[in-house]
Amino acid sequence: MNEKLGEHTLWHLPVLGAVHADTIVTTWIVMALALAFFAWIGASYRSAYQTKRQIVVEGVVNYIADLATSTLGPRGEPFVPFFIALFVFIFLLNQFGVLPFKALGLPFGGSPTADLNTTVPLALLVFFMTWIVGFRYNGIKQFAHLAKPNPLLLPFNLLDELVRPVTLAARLFFNIFVGELLFIIVASIVVAHVMIGPVNLSLAVTIVPFFIQFFNFFVGTVQAFVFTLLAIVYLSLAIGESH
Amino acid sequence: MSSEALVAAFTLLAFGIIVAGVAFGSAVGDGIVASKAVEAISRQPEARPNIMTFMFLGVGVLEAFPIIGLGLAFYMLLVVANVPAMLAKMAGH
Repeated sequence: MNEKLGEHTLWHLPVLGAVHADTIVTTWIVMALALAFFAWIGASYRSAYQTKRQIVVEGVVNYIADLATSTLGPRGEPFVPFFIALFVFIFLLNQFGVLPFKALGLPFGGSPTADLNTTVPLALLVFFMTWIVGFRYNGIKQFAHLAKPNPLLLPFNLLDELVRPVTLAARLFFNIFVGELLFIIVASIVVAHVMIGPVNLSLAVTIVPFFIQFFNFFVGTVQAFVFTLLAIVYLSLAIGESH
Repeated sequence: MSSEALVAAFTLLAFGIIVAGVAFGSAVGDGIVASKAVEAISRQPEARPNIMTFMFLGVGVLEAFPIIGLGLAFYMLLVVANVPAMLAKMAGH
């Protein structure tokens, strides 16, 4: 039990030193899977008939496109592919951890988003994209809205801007990481043969990991959606008509 | 009582307090969100998909803070003061 928990913590801890090889390999695999999936979807558009997989993918794409264009207005249309890619990529990264490759001894597996090295670059991507796009639309006036209601509020507005990527990264990371941690803790109770009096606790909680995986699937989907939607909202704050 | 036992005891106590606060706060917050969503749907049933979207968005944004608290509590329990190893060491002698 201790060994398993310690192994998981150590696998996560060396942030300062070596590169997390499993995270990088898993991200590459997810990227290849996403590219192959969309190539497969795109190839089906050569025939005149609409297939079921087209309808499913178009549902997701239309949903995010409607969300982006209704929040951002006509200015948001060039960014719709970015938000769709962001949602699909984070969703696949979150759900890849369900497959037990790591338990089989393979060098990849686990969710890459359960690693700050994945979520911080994604949050920084959104942060820099909002600032650069806002600068291209509004010019130097983009910095003027930091002192908008009153120049005295400049430090607070600056703090608000800088805290956004931190919360964006921490929200995604902790949701996925704690999901995996809860799964491992319950699994370690199952293998530890805990007896409380006559009750075999380990046998009683055998069913719980299934519910935890179901909960993790739900959390992964919701967090991918929340990340995308907050990216849309931050971009709308940068280039919206209200400013 | 040895100092290690004190550290383990207070870490477990702090972990319990954090988990209690996290569970209490997120339960109250999610309950408010869900009850308001049910009220809104009963007042305007045709806006149900939109309301559900924003309910899940609100829950997703809110749920991050208890999860972050829980993650830091686990970090304290398992990494800062490695309580399982400490307890195993104390049970050893």
